[in-house]
Amino acid sequence: MSEQHHPDYKKIYIALVILLAISVAGPHVGLKWLTLITAFGVALVKANLVVENFMHLKWEKVLAKWVLGTSLVLMALFFAGVSPDVMEHKGDRWVNNAAIAAVARGIPDEEEAAAQEPGAEEAAAPREAAAAAPPAPAFKAEEQFKQVCSACHGLEGKGNGPGAASLDPKPANFTDPAFWADKDDATLVKAIREGGASVGKSSAMPAWGSLYNEDQAKQIVAYLHTLKGN
Amino acid sequence: MHKPIATTRSATGIPTGRLAVWWVLASEIVIFGGLLASYVMHRIGHPEWAVAASHTNTWIGATNTFVLLTSSFTAVLAHQAAEHGDGKTAAKYLLMTIGGAATFITIKSFEWAHEIREGFTITANGFWSFYYTAAGLHALHVIAGAVVMAFIARDAMKGRELHRVELVGIYWHFVDVIWIFLFPLLYIAK
Amino acid sequence: MAHASATEAHAHEHATQEHHGPQGILKYLWSTDHKVIAMQYLFTGMFMAMVGGFMAYVFRMQLAFPGKSVPLFGYVSPGEYNALITGHGSIMIFWVAMPVLIAAFGNYLIPLMIGADDMVFPRINRLSYQIFLLSVLVILSSLFVKGGGFGGAWTSYPPLSANADYNLTPLGSSMWLVAVALEFVAFLLGGINFITTLMNARAPGMKAYDIPMVPWMIVIASILFMLSVGPLFAGAIMLFFDQNLGTGFFDPTRGGDPVLWQHLFWFFGHPEVYVVLLPAVGIVIDIVATFARKKLFGYKTLLYTAVATGVLSFFVWAHHQFIAGIDPRMANIFTVTTLLISVPIAEMCFVIIATLYGGDIRLKVPMLWALAFVGEFLIGGVTGIFLGASGADAYLHETYFVLAHFHYTFFPIAIIGTFAGFTYWFPKMFGRMMNETLGKIHFWGTIIPFNFIFIPLFVLGLDGQQRRIYNFQNFPELQHLQPVRILATISLVVMLFFQLFFFWNVIRSWRKGPKAEKNPWKSNTLEWTTESPPPHGNWPVDEMPKVYRGPYEYNHPDREEDYWPQNLPA
Repeated sequence: MSEQHHPDYKKIYIALVILLAISVAGPHVGLKWLTLITAFGVALVKANLVVENFMHLKWEKVLAKWVLGTSLVLMALFFAGVSPDVMEHKGDRWVNNAAIAAVARGIPDEEEAAAQEPGAEEAAAPREAAAAAPPAPAFKAEEQFKQVCSACHGLEGKGNGPGAASLDPKPANFTDPAFWADKDDATLVKAIREGGASVGKSSAMPAWGSLYNEDQAKQIVAYLHTLKGN
Repeated sequence: MHKPIATTRSATGIPTGRLAVWWVLASEIVIFGGLLASYVMHRIGHPEWAVAASHTNTWIGATNTFVLLTSSFTAVLAHQAAEHGDGKTAAKYLLMTIGGAATFITIKSFEWAHEIREGFTITANGFWSFYYTAAGLHALHVIAGAVVMAFIARDAMKGRELHRVELVGIYWHFVDVIWIFLFPLLYIAK
Repeated sequence: MAHASATEAHAHEHATQEHHGPQGILKYLWSTDHKVIAMQYLFTGMFMAMVGGFMAYVFRMQLAFPGKSVPLFGYVSPGEYNALITGHGSIMIFWVAMPVLIAAFGNYLIPLMIGADDMVFPRINRLSYQIFLLSVLVILSSLFVKGGGFGGAWTSYPPLSANADYNLTPLGSSMWLVAVALEFVAFLLGGINFITTLMNARAPGMKAYDIPMVPWMIVIASILFMLSVGPLFAGAIMLFFDQNLGTGFFDPTRGGDPVLWQHLFWFFGHPEVYVVLLPAVGIVIDIVATFARKKLFGYKTLLYTAVATGVLSFFVWAHHQFIAGIDPRMANIFTVTTLLISVPIAEMCFVIIATLYGGDIRLKVPMLWALAFVGEFLIGGVTGIFLGASGADAYLHETYFVLAHFHYTFFPIAIIGTFAGFTYWFPKMFGRMMNETLGKIHFWGTIIPFNFIFIPLFVLGLDGQQRRIYNFQNFPELQHLQPVRILATISLVVMLFFQLFFFWNVIRSWRKGPKAEKNPWKSNTLEWTTESPPPHGNWPVDEMPKVYRGPYEYNHPDREEDYWPQNLPA
């Protein structure tokens, strides 16, 4: 049992507090690799000190180490198996459009934030992270139409996409002059961003406002105009 | 309630209560592990989260780390006293540990209130969702530990069930270790 | 050790004075006795099995006779259909297979088979059942709230499950999630109890290789459960926030990733298959050795294959996601590991067959169930090979082939395994013998229709029939398969009818079956050395068993009798 062993708890406590100071001081040097070491390397050392001495794992039967070690290994396995799908947004013959769009949406905000706090020390790290990030893909209305809208409206905008079969009323046919007779661009932008129901049309048309901002919706409408003649 | 004979046996050589605590910790490791692994892979995949992360307050985080480290220290002193059969001192140190837990939660609630006023709510961005979920789950563990410690301190005061001081101590150090990792993940690695 | 035996003696004194517990009706509701808690789990599980079976009956009737009113239920709306298949799947796995195979048999048998008087933490055990009961109430009431029960299948994939605008069940989906989380908590508490009990509370003299297979398997299963459920538990919290606070962990329109949920779910979901399989294998092994009157062929082989299955089960989860858009390179890896895991499972079957070979086989009802388990599970295992190969899976995924495959694994596990164990330990649990004739009628009345339900579903799946479709009249190209669907449904009704023989048999035997002696099957393990049913504390305090040998010493050459109980001194 653990009666026979007593590390000097006070020494360990002081060591922990010093390590804490190091991990807080780390980012102030401004080197990314150093921050990672002082943050996670020090955390590992601290955790080890607590587990070995305060939890007395150093003197516990080996069985307990196996129990805890197994669960840690399983978490490493979980990370290894899942991160190729979640951490990466593009792989061998697959693309995660939603995640790429989310990154693209976030980056301009970052520049604004950096502009608002010029010289703020904390802003150094995010800028660096942004530099490492892939550049935001340019917005292409045609690409978006073919990836998102075409599910119902069809690749050529005739309202005959795979999803159209089960819909009533049928999705809009952009090649039909009758469609364009009673609609202006503002209505279409509103329909794209707030859904069909917002302009008195079918509620089967979802609201895409979270995917496209006002300007992007306008570009999509401009693309729709090019379908008219087909 | 009497103790079954089964509880007093120890074929592994580890007392039954402590063996169970190790298994509890294993199950906690996979709960926090799943959450934090999900966070880390999202964080690496979303460089834009660094913007949100830069708004967390390192000094508050560091203060809370200090509070938890100190409470871990008092918890281990309580265990030391309990080993010597000194229930009163053990209870005193346990109460100090509960005080640490209360300080931690108080600081945390001021920190969160401030952040929510600034508009950084749980729905603001993926980073903040993970921030509140992970720290909130950890805070629940802090509260649960404090409640259990209060019961054990009451028993220890009368010199009863002193081995439980060690068990709750092991759990408490584990809560501390989780925070040791949450601190760099949420506050430092910006 | 001197200290430990002193406390044991002290506990003995206490035990003689206080081994009573609460009286009256509270004895059954508030007891900490592991046998009473096992009965609570068993009967709750059986009740939930009836609920789940009724759900299967309703949606099978809808599929066979679409648009007609179902007797005892009425017209099935599309939303109700979704709630029924979701409820059937969740209930049969979380509220039937787990409580019966792990909690009921585990609670009843682990202390008895290792010679202990109770679980090491009786009050945590009681708390475990109470939380489980709460989860039962939540899942049942979720079917009747506004908007109806959750209809997103037992896998609960987001974004369908994460957003009430999509699933149209704002309350039902959250209640489903809460019920599942509560159930996890109950089994974590129970699992810690099982593991610690087996590790620490074994009878004097019982070494690791003297433990019968049932406790081993239930404990390995509990460890698997405990180590796999954590990420899903975290995921459940995240999904709950997605549903109720509007976060976007799994919602791609808010920057989340729905595939992450699939990983979190199947990291638990696949080991879960082995969590329920292993206890059933343990039960079958014990029965086979007893009724073949032969020493188990390869005790250590079986134990190591069980551990190997457990370890490998953590490396295969993504084979459920081959067509979910995961990285194809990962799919290659997971194909290999999935095909690998059939090796230890096949080895288990060989151990059973080798034990039977040359044995003095007695075809009592428990033995029939045990043999049926092996035969039917093999079909489930072999069809799994097709699905484990990512290329074939691209065609077969989400068809009735998958459905038939996992019913050929889960039905032997949860139903056949349970009946095997129940009929085998019924004399011990209730102190009466069951009727053999009724038992055999029930056996054949279950096994034959079972195959007539699910073999047709393989055919449907190979013809490309998709799962989770409310009404196949909307698919003209699948119209010609309607007779096959009707055959499966009629077989289900026949099978459900034959369950009446089981209930009749239980009630009749319980009331006036012949009294069971201590050891009616002439078995070796410790539970047969005490009274039937065992008293509180299992053995008199001064007669706690000691163990001298392994559990499967049948027809030992040094001994006249063909069995050799573990507690007899050499």
